[in-house]
Amino acid sequence: METPNQILKGVRILAFTTGYAGPYAGRLLANYGAEVIKIESRKGGLDTFRHYGQHKDIDEAPRFIECNLGVRSLAINLKNPTGTRLIRELAGKSDAILQNFRPRVLDKLGLGDEDLRKVNPKLVIVKLPGFGTEGPKSSYGTWGFNLTAFSGITYLWNHPEQDRPIGSQGVYPDHLGFVLGPTMMIAALLNSRRSGKGVTIDLAQIEGTAAVLGTTYLETSVNGDDPKPRGNHYALAAPHGVYRCQGDDRWCVISVRDDDEWRNFCRVVGRGDLVSDRRFTTLQLRVENRAALDAMVSEWTLARPAEEVMTRCQAAGVPASVVQTGADLLKDPQLRHRNYFSAFPDSLIGSFEIPRSGFLFKGVPEDPLKLPARFGSDNDQILGELLGYDKATIEQWRQEEVLT
Amino acid sequence: MSITIEPVALLPGYRVLDLSSSMGSFCGKVLRDLGMEVIKIEPPGGDAGRLEPPFAKGHAHREGSLRFAYLNGGKKSVTLDIAKDDGRRIFLDLVAKSDVVLETFTPGELAANQLGYAQLLEKQSKLILVSLTGFGQDGPYAHYKAPDIVGNAMGALLYISGDPKMTPCNPPETQAYYYASLMAGYGTMLALWQREMRGIGAWIDGSVQASMALHEHVAFNYAAEKRVMKRAGSQHQHNAPANLFQCKNGWIALFVTQTHWPLLLKVWDNHAPELDDPKWINSNLRRKEADYINAEVTSFTMRFTKEELAELMQKHGIPGLPVNSPSDFMKDPHIQARNFFSQVTHPVLGTYDAPGSFFTVNSKRGGPAPAPLLGQHNHEIFAGELGLSAETLAVLTAEQVI
Repeated sequence: METPNQILKGVRILAFTTGYAGPYAGRLLANYGAEVIKIESRKGGLDTFRHYGQHKDIDEAPRFIECNLGVRSLAINLKNPTGTRLIRELAGKSDAILQNFRPRVLDKLGLGDEDLRKVNPKLVIVKLPGFGTEGPKSSYGTWGFNLTAFSGITYLWNHPEQDRPIGSQGVYPDHLGFVLGPTMMIAALLNSRRSGKGVTIDLAQIEGTAAVLGTTYLETSVNGDDPKPRGNHYALAAPHGVYRCQGDDRWCVISVRDDDEWRNFCRVVGRGDLVSDRRFTTLQLRVENRAALDAMVSEWTLARPAEEVMTRCQAAGVPASVVQTGADLLKDPQLRHRNYFSAFPDSLIGSFEIPRSGFLFKGVPEDPLKLPARFGSDNDQILGELLGYDKATIEQWRQEEVLT
Repeated sequence: MSITIEPVALLPGYRVLDLSSSMGSFCGKVLRDLGMEVIKIEPPGGDAGRLEPPFAKGHAHREGSLRFAYLNGGKKSVTLDIAKDDGRRIFLDLVAKSDVVLETFTPGELAANQLGYAQLLEKQSKLILVSLTGFGQDGPYAHYKAPDIVGNAMGALLYISGDPKMTPCNPPETQAYYYASLMAGYGTMLALWQREMRGIGAWIDGSVQASMALHEHVAFNYAAEKRVMKRAGSQHQHNAPANLFQCKNGWIALFVTQTHWPLLLKVWDNHAPELDDPKWINSNLRRKEADYINAEVTSFTMRFTKEELAELMQKHGIPGLPVNSPSDFMKDPHIQARNFFSQVTHPVLGTYDAPGSFFTVNSKRGGPAPAPLLGQHNHEIFAGELGLSAETLAVLTAEQVI
């Protein structure tokens, strides 16, 4: 029986990707059976993550490995006309292009949408540029980090009492991009399969990011408000928030949303008397008096490990959880139950495990993930078997630095 | 060429029955934006999401929730109590005419209503059932309750978010639900591809926690390097200056890698001569000495407004963007030129700007649409599609099935 990893078997995608979002989008397609051929060159066209970390070998950068699992590698110099000709030939035998280069980089190399569609009118092209391919700022250089800032998320991702913006140290938009990219890829492939025509998707990462702030924009346009940071407060629950627990930098989340949860919570913390306390008898009162509640909750949580808070509350039907760290994730029994981590016991950088995906195909076992192909290691197969060139020609191109 | 607003249905002809709470509403919205017909099935009193803030003009009203308006724009709404026998029968008749069922019930709840995957398959053998829950359909935490903040906490994004001197800080809106919705959306696409190729359905078992645990290399950093990522404010883990820097009128987000450092020194007149030492090209060293580097950079950024500086940076190839408020973003000329926002009219909310689809198809963008009123499509679906008579509908209404 085929596993879900093979759902996209037979789909060939050429990937011009670098960094986090683009490559990971390719990884998520490859993990389900698509043949994703990543095209790079030592002549100024290497994925920037190949230089991340202390490793000398470009195949050993941990970040690169993480983001390119299961992806094939074609090393080809796009500054050489033979190189670009070979890409056009390859496009003729492929279903789609995935790319997150800056707009017009590929156009200037003779690999623009029109050039490729001349060879393959049905080609699907999915682009993930930071600011999109059109518009006055389309040439801007962007990273996930500052796209978060541009969208308004950084400004809002803060405690109300903080005196400066904080946002996140991370690159949230990359995560959005790497799941939206493959989603759009399959939607476009389904569309093209039906219509027989090519489709170009421009997925500006700034717009993918703004899509997760839609409610806030509506507050601005419907109410004329300029929403402010709300931190861990929520209008429909109290207690609600992040509470310090026993231990070094250990925290738990508790969220009490209705009267049932409130009664149960009072029982868990041994404060049955609070059920009839007039300050807390309705949700609205609890929200109004949340400062008093928070003090009481913190006193209880501080004396306990976060794990105990979670299990006792959840056993009583009260939403609660540990604020987990990376170390917690690796030993999380629920994630283990889902067979969430794929192990790489003998990779170039030693043994490690890696998360797979946010969903399973219920009842269908999954294949292990595969490491990325070593740089250029698929050249002979792709140029020889797929494009039909003989060994001597390929060797000559290698000498002429077409394949590097 | 410019981006025009017109309907762009990549996947027309597919029907989704959306039973989800606000945990999965964003998944239904994405499927709608891809061109599917999404029918929201609400209990007769209305989806609880209709009473989630923020509200238009601050008044709690079941047609006035802005979160509901955004997450359900363009969907249809029917009311149906699927826990009642008649409701279940009508639901199954709809399943027979649908491709995808999206749900966020506690694991086992659908099956307890005789609407488990096996029963749905009897009505529609190629059905794609998309189940999204906090932790998945089974396992030790499967029955744990999971409001959005629990998803952020259990996936570890919360732990690394915020000022290290303060409590971990939850991101705005319901990011765990959104992200899990997007993951479930990708699962739906894979299942749809499989269905087209092999003629079979699938049951997608989505988990909010498992979706969030993919973020920021947190699991990987620990698995591969035994490094526990901590809160670090706005400071990026591997680069400096990669932080927010104060300007005359606000803040700018700069992200300067090895490639950009020499470019920054060039545009930064009278920087400290010490910084010309080639040793600073190394990102690791700059990150190690981030306090020093950040203080120096701030003396430069304070000379400009955030808009001026972003433009100057970009002109010199350095990725800098201002820290915008949501309204700054909406007014930005680039965003406006791309027609990202366009007008929607809704009987209660009035006329307002809302985001269109987050992608363009051959330079066309699908525009936003109003959310349906409660039960707005009852007649169209129950009478038009299923052929129920006016009499039957009246009885079902009286019995609070619809």
